[in-house]
Amino acid sequence: MALSKEELKAVIIEKAKKAPKPQLYLKDFYKCDPDSKPRIIKNIANELVREGELMYWSSGSTTMYARPDRIKDEEGAQGVND
Amino acid sequence: MSKHDTPMLDELEKGPWPSFVTDLKRQAETKPECWDILGQLELSYEDKITHWKHGGIVGIFGYGGGVVGRYSDVPDRFPGVEHFHTVRVNQPSSKYYSTKFLRGICDLWEKYGSGMTNMHGSTGDMVLLGTRTENLEPLFWDLTHDLNQDIGGSGSNLRTPSCCLGQSRCEFACYDTQEICHTLTNHYQDELHRPAFPYKYKFKFSGCANDCVAAIARSDLAVIGTWKDDIRIDQAAVKEYIAGNYPANAGAHAGRDWGAFDIQKEVIDLCPTGCMSMEGDELKVDNSECTRCMHCINVMPRAMRPGKEQGATICMGAKAPILEGAQFATMIIPFVKVEKENEYEEIINVIESVWDWWMEHGKNRERVGEAMQRIGLANFLSIIGVDPLPQHIREPRSNAYIFWRDEEVPGGFERDIVEFRKRHAA
Repeated sequence: MALSKEELKAVIIEKAKKAPKPQLYLKDFYKCDPDSKPRIIKNIANELVREGELMYWSSGSTTMYARPDRIKDEEGAQGVND
Repeated sequence: MSKHDTPMLDELEKGPWPSFVTDLKRQAETKPECWDILGQLELSYEDKITHWKHGGIVGIFGYGGGVVGRYSDVPDRFPGVEHFHTVRVNQPSSKYYSTKFLRGICDLWEKYGSGMTNMHGSTGDMVLLGTRTENLEPLFWDLTHDLNQDIGGSGSNLRTPSCCLGQSRCEFACYDTQEICHTLTNHYQDELHRPAFPYKYKFKFSGCANDCVAAIARSDLAVIGTWKDDIRIDQAAVKEYIAGNYPANAGAHAGRDWGAFDIQKEVIDLCPTGCMSMEGDELKVDNSECTRCMHCINVMPRAMRPGKEQGATICMGAKAPILEGAQFATMIIPFVKVEKENEYEEIINVIESVWDWWMEHGKNRERVGEAMQRIGLANFLSIIGVDPLPQHIREPRSNAYIFWRDEEVPGGFERDIVEFRKRHAA
C-alpha cells in the first residue's frame, strides 16, 4: 500500500540526507515507495522544493534534487539555508 | 578600448561575413563585462579547454528550469563573467513579436544582463545570455509583470513547445499549429517549469511535411501536418506551369536562368514513391502510393494542394547526437485529427501514455527515442496501446519486428504435435 503524503515526504527527506551523493535524480526517489506512482513522487519532490526542504540542481540539460545543506553552490557559499 | 589582447579572436573579424567578435566588441562599449567574454574565450583557445562551468542551484524560486547556471573557472582574471547565467524566455507561438515587445526584451536585458541575446535557441526560446545570480528574481518580476512573458524550459522538464507559422501565413498548413502549441504550453505548465522526467522532452508542431521547425529531427514528439484523402490538382494550372506562364517554386529560384520548367525532370522523376505520371497533358497521381512529401506542391503551389481531410502524423523519438548519434523520429501514428473542439484530447492521450511509461521505466538521462530503441518498437507500441500498422515497416522484409502473441492468434500456438507429424514427417 502506498505511503501517505506526509510519510512519503519524510522518507524522501531522509533519503536526500543520507544518500552517498548529495544530488539525486527524481528516479532515485521512486525507490522510497515502489507503490506510489512516479507522478505522485514528482509532485511531492517539487512540493518539498517549495517548502525549502530540497533544492533543484540543474546542469542545464538535467535537473537533480538535493538537500540545501548538502550542496555548495558555485558561488562558494553553503546552501541557502545556512 | 580593448581590455584584453585577443589576437586569435581578432582573426575571426576578417572576411566578408558577420563576426560575433565584432558584435561583442561593440556591445562591450556599453557593457564592459563583454571584454571579459572575449578575454576568457581567447584563453580557452590558448588552453584548448573551456573555462565555463555549467550548472548549479541558480534559478527562479519554485521553478525547476528556465535558468542555466554558468560560471567562469577563472573569475579572478575575468570578473565580469564570474556569473554568466543563461535565461530562456518562452517565445510566443510562431515567434511573432511586436517591435515594442522586442525593445522591451532588449531594454530588460540591458538592465539586468549582458545585453547579448540568442534569437532563438534550438528549442525555440529567446535566449538571454549572461547575468548575475542577484539579477534573476528582479528580471523575472519585470519579465512577467511588464512584458507578460514567462521563462521557458530547461533541465529534465518539458522544453518550450514550438511551432511553425502554421495557418497564420501558410496556405499548406494542415492544422492550426499556433493554437495547439499555445494550448499545450498552458496545459503543461507544471511539466514545463518543474522537473518531471528522466531527461528533456520536446514537442514541436509543423503544419506540413516541409517541417519548418524541424520537428522530425529535433523533438521527442513531432506533430506534422498531413492529409488523408487525395491531393488536389488544378490541371489548368499544371498546363500553365508547363507552358512557363507560372514560375516554378513560386519564383524562389528565379535569380538564375535554370532553363525552361521541365515537369518530368523537376517533379515526376523526383517523386520519392514514383506515384506521378503524365497522361497526355494531364498530371496523374496514384494517391495510394503518395507519401505526402510536399515536393510537387512546393514546385507547383498554384497547381497542387493538400487534400481536404487534414490532420497530422505523430512521430516520436528524435534527438541530437549526444549518446548514439542523431536520430530522426519514428512514425507512430499515421493520421490523427488535430481538433481544438475536444481540446486535443487524442494527442494529449498519446503524450501522457508515453510519459507514464517513460517516467517509470526510462533510465536517467535517456531520451524517449533511446528508450524506444532499447525495448524495440513492437514493445513500445504495445505499451502505448497502438496496434502495429503497415506504415510502421520501414521497408518490406527489412524490419519485420512484429511477433504475434499467443492470445492474438485464433487457437493460440498450441498444437497437437503427434497429429501434425502424421501429415508432416520430421
